[in-house]
Amino acid sequence: MIGSPDTPSFNDRQLDAIREAGNIGTGNAATALSGLLSRRINMDVPKTELVSIYELAEHYGDPLQTVGAVFVRSTGGFQCSLIFIQPEQDAQLMVQLLLQNQFGGSAIPAGEIPQEIYDSALGEVGNIVLSSFLNAINLLLGTQHQISVPGTAHDMLASILDVVASIYGQLGETALLVNTELSAEGLEDGRRISGHIIMIPDPESLSLLLRKLKVI
Amino acid sequence: MAENSIVLGMADLMVVSAPIKLVTLGLGSCIGLVVYDTLARVAGMAHIMLPDSRGLKTSEKVGKFADTAVPALIEEMLRKGAARPRIKAKIAGGAQMFSLPGASAEFLTVGAKNVAETKRRLHALGIAVIASDTGGNKGRTIEFSTSNWMLKVKTLGKGINEI
Repeated sequence: MIGSPDTPSFNDRQLDAIREAGNIGTGNAATALSGLLSRRINMDVPKTELVSIYELAEHYGDPLQTVGAVFVRSTGGFQCSLIFIQPEQDAQLMVQLLLQNQFGGSAIPAGEIPQEIYDSALGEVGNIVLSSFLNAINLLLGTQHQISVPGTAHDMLASILDVVASIYGQLGETALLVNTELSAEGLEDGRRISGHIIMIPDPESLSLLLRKLKVI
Repeated sequence: MAENSIVLGMADLMVVSAPIKLVTLGLGSCIGLVVYDTLARVAGMAHIMLPDSRGLKTSEKVGKFADTAVPALIEEMLRKGAARPRIKAKIAGGAQMFSLPGASAEFLTVGAKNVAETKRRLHALGIAVIASDTGGNKGRTIEFSTSNWMLKVKTLGKGINEI
């Protein structure tokens, strides 16, 4: 059992093990994104963080900032929810780059990409990034998994993170976040595309992960 | 008279006397519940996250759950001079931010459950909900003015709705 339901607590070895799983997932996600965009992708060292559910938005930035987000649910041996979240302008730039990359020709100005195509492309990139993340973790754990169709949203950071707060809120007041940032370089004008992957493991899957990594 | 604003965070609950503006930012599946008594000139707001505390520890913030927030908010209103028959309620929020076709992810519909439970609890206490802006798939920022008792609901890309 991981802590009591209302106060999750982990020792340093457990937090390290969870972070290592995140690291393996992120490496795979970065490779996939790099292939899609034909750009070098940097990843920072993932963090395992325990954050108050009441301060999630502030933890990531300005609660009113507009972000693009892709959400998937993974079921099977290791059950979890995953979110890929980006500042809206980064999401737009990423989709622009993807379309240019996949179909050739010159860049379509971001504002001229029809919303439907933009959403569907964003959902697909998020899906590939998050599936790659999950494939690596399931390979590590020796589990099988199925991933849902991606859901996309463009909205205020605080509204998007309500999803995370309501999942953890049913268990207590602390969210365990496996958090990592990817960024693309080699863009014109020194522009940057960055995105966060947030993994929210179900409690029993977290136990499984700690058992498999022999830290429980 | 100028109204100072108070911004309520997640699971906060507060009752104030006019003139003060009550604000909460970026409601997704959460609920912004406003109750007020125009005669006593008091108003309260709660930023509700989940429908039901299911007997979880009471050390948590009462504003977090509809079943604990509604009675606590009404009690605080009465303490500040409101009379129960005069209290009216307005509700905003309760959106579903993501939908996953075909996937069983019950927790994504928590917004609708928040709306239903909040209304049920208000009804049980005899408080009328006179206006609401709930559901959909967009986040909301809300401001309640105690000078005209109107709730301003801002939605990204849709502008402002006053209820």
